[in-house]
Amino acid sequence: MKMSSITNVKGKRRAISNPVVVVVAVVLLVLGGGIGYFAHTGSGATTTVTGQGSTTTVYSTTTVYSTSGSGTTTSSSEPALPASLPATTISETGSTLLYPLFNYWVPGFNSTYSNVQINTAGTGSGIGISSAAAGTVQIGASDAYLLPAQMNQYPNLLDIPLAISAQMINYNLPGIPTTTHLNMTGNILAQIYNGTISYWNDPQITAINPGVTLPHQIIHPIHRSDGSGDTFIFTTYLSDTNAWWSSHVGFATSVSFPGLATAAAYQGNGGMVQGCQQTQYCIAYIGISFQSNTEAAGLGYAYLQNRAGNFVDITQANIQAAAAQMVSATPPNEALSLVYAPGANSYPIINYEYSIVSKTQANANTALVVKTFLNWCIEPDHGNAASYLNKVGFVPLPSSIATLSYSQIAQIGP
Amino acid sequence: MKAGNSRRRLVDRVYDFVSALLGSSALLFLFMILAVLAVFSLPSLVVNGLNFFTTVIWNPGISTTLTAVRGFPAMSGASYGMLVFFSGTLISSGLALLIGAPLSIGVAIFLSMIAPKRLSASLSFFVELLAGIPSIVFGFWGLLVLAPLLVNVVEPVMAQYLGFIPGFGGPVYGYGLIASGLVLALMIVPIVSAISRDAMSQTPIELKEAAMALGMTNWEVTRKVVLPYAKTAIVGSLVLGLGRALGETMAVAMVSQSALNILPMTVYYPINTLSAFMAVTFDSALTDPSGMEISSLAELALVLFIITTTVNIVARLLVRRGFISSAEHLVQV
Repeated sequence: MKMSSITNVKGKRRAISNPVVVVVAVVLLVLGGGIGYFAHTGSGATTTVTGQGSTTTVYSTTTVYSTSGSGTTTSSSEPALPASLPATTISETGSTLLYPLFNYWVPGFNSTYSNVQINTAGTGSGIGISSAAAGTVQIGASDAYLLPAQMNQYPNLLDIPLAISAQMINYNLPGIPTTTHLNMTGNILAQIYNGTISYWNDPQITAINPGVTLPHQIIHPIHRSDGSGDTFIFTTYLSDTNAWWSSHVGFATSVSFPGLATAAAYQGNGGMVQGCQQTQYCIAYIGISFQSNTEAAGLGYAYLQNRAGNFVDITQANIQAAAAQMVSATPPNEALSLVYAPGANSYPIINYEYSIVSKTQANANTALVVKTFLNWCIEPDHGNAASYLNKVGFVPLPSSIATLSYSQIAQIGP
Repeated sequence: MKAGNSRRRLVDRVYDFVSALLGSSALLFLFMILAVLAVFSLPSLVVNGLNFFTTVIWNPGISTTLTAVRGFPAMSGASYGMLVFFSGTLISSGLALLIGAPLSIGVAIFLSMIAPKRLSASLSFFVELLAGIPSIVFGFWGLLVLAPLLVNVVEPVMAQYLGFIPGFGGPVYGYGLIASGLVLALMIVPIVSAISRDAMSQTPIELKEAAMALGMTNWEVTRKVVLPYAKTAIVGSLVLGLGRALGETMAVAMVSQSALNILPMTVYYPINTLSAFMAVTFDSALTDPSGMEISSLAELALVLFIITTTVNIVARLLVRRGFISSAEHLVQV
């Protein structure tokens, strides 16, 4: 009986490969479906995730401007850091604006805790949020806070500010020296980006720039093509200052920019610098950590009108002035726009740089390492020291904001 | 003896199984990709419906509150249309073909007909080397070298002297369309010229010698014997090149200037393509709490999948039939 069936099989080798293919197909489909399902739902944090696709960008390491004071005082709420940590690997991915800072932070952290390995990757704020939600990384980096709908979608996620960043409005205006800073308002920027204002010598622009002769040239508004925290805070500024923008475009890491033949979009802050450099009469929004790049590219930057109506420079003092105005308004979950802060000297486009972290980590060791690392990043004598933040033009968290961050970090557990 | 036989049969069965597994995997992956795309794009198919294929605006919506549209959550104000990316894909690939086809056929004619054997071998090597250059390198070159040249020098001159042709008149807004077409043209040259050269060099030597004996010049031999013989294979290689251009992502993402919500009216417009837009938008789409933008991107992927699959099948058919039908044609003559 057995013998005959084998002979039978042997005799019809070609015929049996069809059922074999079917079996293989079913197995692969089930496997693929299973993998897809788990990848989609997320099965908790793992401790050894590596190989996130990373974007490599050239960042300047020069000090952007001198420190006028650390702006923070050591708070009594500062948690004590453990003397040593268990050997663990954790991963970070997300914001390309935070990426260079993480690459300064990690070696500093490793000088104390050499047995902890932290993998970093610059993939964009959206990937940071979604990877932290899926548990494929322990720390997601984002320039944008979690919107209410996202908080409902991922109730387990915390958004914890690590530092404060700011954004420049740059332009390429041949004939106007970069030492001359144009005045610019959010309302005018919104009209430039929606096509209402199309020439540099538009009456609205010349009215706020007495003494500057602006050319009769088409303005090329440049924006980010990839999802970006820079787009988030820039469009927040436009939404805060222009009703049409607020009701028609709104703010997000990627918005539906009005279709203009004169507009163009580029990837990353590096792409924005390159695009603006090669497009005469452009205007662009670029993160503060690229200031030395924009200067090298010969781009000027504007003084922006704040809520008080003053045109302010993007100095560290003005960024801190704006942050100080928003301290008391920051809720315990720290999800707050810092854009268009009140105050005479407040620079209008600043934001918290967030780490997006799940409250529940895979195990106690991972949770301890994540908590220690985040606390270390925020403490003014460690990660928030001027020696780290000045390299990327960020300013430290005010002490009461650091306190809120510490208490959010304390919620992280296994 | 009997034990040895059954062991051999077992080995054969394992061998059967493993080779069937490997052999079927390619087909399976194809169907799995199709299935995943179909599942992910279902909400978009239902919510966007036919508007997806007929509208220009791509807007993920502005509100942070979700509303239910036909049973699926969606951001209010959201609307998704593929026309910008669809048209950009077709236009840039068409331009690539327009520029790339004469270039590659010229390369193929030179390599197979004119160049001495040693020169032909080394030149072929370099042409094939071109195929191995990563697309990001083409993109860098396009962005750093080609783009400034186009927008500052070439396009103003074009607008001035070719302005009478519809679509070529000023003002020069950007370089996205032309730069994408040029970069893609360069990228399809290796594949088109390699296949065309192979087809041309398969022209039977007797035919060429007979033509020469009749007093034909080199040019006449090429035009009247070699090109007709290789015609279908050349067309097939062009369609294959088109398939490559349609799916190219990174290089185009870097030089297209990523147009949004606007269709190109002249050749001086920025454009966007299906694949480039998917690549750069995926990140922010993940943060859309309704999931509708991801779904719409999946539908874009489905559209691109169908276009490239169709083009590739047509190309394979043409390339395969090429030699046979040309030969038949010659036999009939």
